[in-house]
Amino acid sequence: MKHHFRRQGWVAGLFALLVALFILTKFIQPNYGAGDLGSLVRAVLPYAFAVAAQTVVVIAGGIDLSVAAMMALTSVTAASMMAGASEEYALLVVPFVLAMGFALGAVNGILIVVSRVPDIVVTLATLFMLQGAALLVLGAPGGGAAEWLKSLVVGTIPLPGLPDSVTAWIPKSLVLLVVLLCIVWIPLNRSKLGLSIYAIGSSELAAFRSGVPVARTKILAYAFAGLFAAMGGLSLTMSTGIGAPIPGPYLLASVAAVVLGGVALGGGKGSLLGPIIAVFVLRLVRTDLTLLAIDPNVTAIVEGSIMVAVVMFGAFITMRSRSS
Amino acid sequence: MLKKKLVGALLASAALAASLGAASAEAPYTIGVSNTVQGNGWREEMICAIKAQALASGKVDKLNIAHRNTDAAGQAEDIRNLISAKVDAIVVNPADPAGIKDALAEATKAGIVVVAVDQAVTEPSAYIISNNQEQYAYLGAKWLFEQMGGKGNVVYMRGAAGASADSDRDRGFKKALAEFPDVKVAQETFTGWQQDQGKQQILDYIATGVPFDGIWTSGIDNVIVDALVESQATLVPVVGADNAGFVGQLQSVEGLKGAAVTNPGSIGGAGVTLALQILEGQKPAEQTVLVEPELWENATDAGKEKLKTAADSSLSPEWPVSISIPNWTTYSKEQIVACKGPGE
Repeated sequence: MKHHFRRQGWVAGLFALLVALFILTKFIQPNYGAGDLGSLVRAVLPYAFAVAAQTVVVIAGGIDLSVAAMMALTSVTAASMMAGASEEYALLVVPFVLAMGFALGAVNGILIVVSRVPDIVVTLATLFMLQGAALLVLGAPGGGAAEWLKSLVVGTIPLPGLPDSVTAWIPKSLVLLVVLLCIVWIPLNRSKLGLSIYAIGSSELAAFRSGVPVARTKILAYAFAGLFAAMGGLSLTMSTGIGAPIPGPYLLASVAAVVLGGVALGGGKGSLLGPIIAVFVLRLVRTDLTLLAIDPNVTAIVEGSIMVAVVMFGAFITMRSRSS
Repeated sequence: MLKKKLVGALLASAALAASLGAASAEAPYTIGVSNTVQGNGWREEMICAIKAQALASGKVDKLNIAHRNTDAAGQAEDIRNLISAKVDAIVVNPADPAGIKDALAEATKAGIVVVAVDQAVTEPSAYIISNNQEQYAYLGAKWLFEQMGGKGNVVYMRGAAGASADSDRDRGFKKALAEFPDVKVAQETFTGWQQDQGKQQILDYIATGVPFDGIWTSGIDNVIVDALVESQATLVPVVGADNAGFVGQLQSVEGLKGAAVTNPGSIGGAGVTLALQILEGQKPAEQTVLVEPELWENATDAGKEKLKTAADSSLSPEWPVSISIPNWTTYSKEQIVACKGPGE
């Protein structure tokens, strides 16, 4: 019970930090409004999916260094397939790319289980392989995206019964993010597989002795990470209209948000909500630094310092509550 | 009575809003900058030129610079943050010509003047001021092929795959190549405009032992000369940009024949000037303004003289020596080297 409270406490604290940051943003830029929130969520999208991918794997006791490369590969695949194709064709491209992400993730898991080489080494190897594959698909940024796909992240959703002043604060991209994460995460979390993922993350041996199929669980955890990474890749193509073969800054950002989100790097602890809020916090910090026109060479230092400070503060609180 | 008051209040607030609207379009201005390559000499000079020109113009009271290593999605995020910051103009060096189209369109819609420097963008509402990259490659390649006697093998060291500056230069290079049918491309590489990568690539190529007669580089030049000298390979003619280090080598390295083609990083300062002109109602006749390159070679006395006047050993070796652009920049050398913007 106490453990449960502590975990929720972390997420609640993070949420309070996010609210405080929004108030600070409004203070810095009094005109900060609904449109700007939409921009923020669009910036959050690829990071959120990257961090969702990383969260599943970290809870299962692993780490996936190939997240950003997989996003690049799925993004260029989608963009090159959609270039010059009809709008309807994209209806096939999306499930194909998602399935591809799932399969590539499963390959990561199979390699780890079969070879018994540590996760960090296997996914480092696949990072380079996927990066090379992305360059084979598209040698340079290019390709295209269907208009309906791009419009999924632009603007707001008119909800019946709600005035415009309210719906303006519900950007499509936020709805898309919440829906996609919930569709995958909630059933997964409530299923036997979800429980097994937490179990192998806590202690692989204990899980094995309790009859949890460790190998299958691990492979599926990586497969779901691949699925989230493919969503991230698609979100990149949706927001830019192209595919870029060189991976963006999503790997380190995903690990950072996982840690900030209260997921134990050792595995077995945490949920998806914390890391997702953490992504919003990190992007909003970037917005505030831009609004304040801080020297650009200093912003990276500020971002890193905030992260360390928050994690250390959290660890301090946890220690205090444990000893008392 | 109440209605009258309400109308009065509405009118007053409308007038206030109108005056605020007008105020935002008058000097001093806030200019936003978005750049996605950090730690590259050319780009640093570009940023310093932006700061120096903003200061020298006297019309800018604040620069808001988003300057980090990121992709097109990250640049779109930065541009949207600059829109939130309510800047008057955005000077952007695009990560990708098409990938930031939506963000630029949103900026224009918000009443922000958008000027792309160095490379083109596909968003039609944006203004573009750029060095003529096609001509840059054509001038250098033509000179190189003439030096090679119109025949032989050339090593073609390009920039970053997919960058519009690189594809424009490729067109210019191919145009010159078509004029010299006996010149063959022995090796084509992408340096990504990174010094270490370019050097590694030429060392790998030298190690194969395959002879070559000339090297064309997309501005990663001084490390190529270093590699030739260090590995005691034959000093073939080398074409590069007007980076201070390479311009120095053209005068000091014994037996090196080469040419520097100007590609001023100070185009960033020109971007600020163009943005200010548009803000004050002087729109250029064309949406795209091109700055023409010059070629300085060390094969003739006249060329050597030009190199001598251009050389500036006080600059960082990766900085282009053409630190200003006539008619477009008004800052002094001290100002660009100091790299300080308004209020710093």
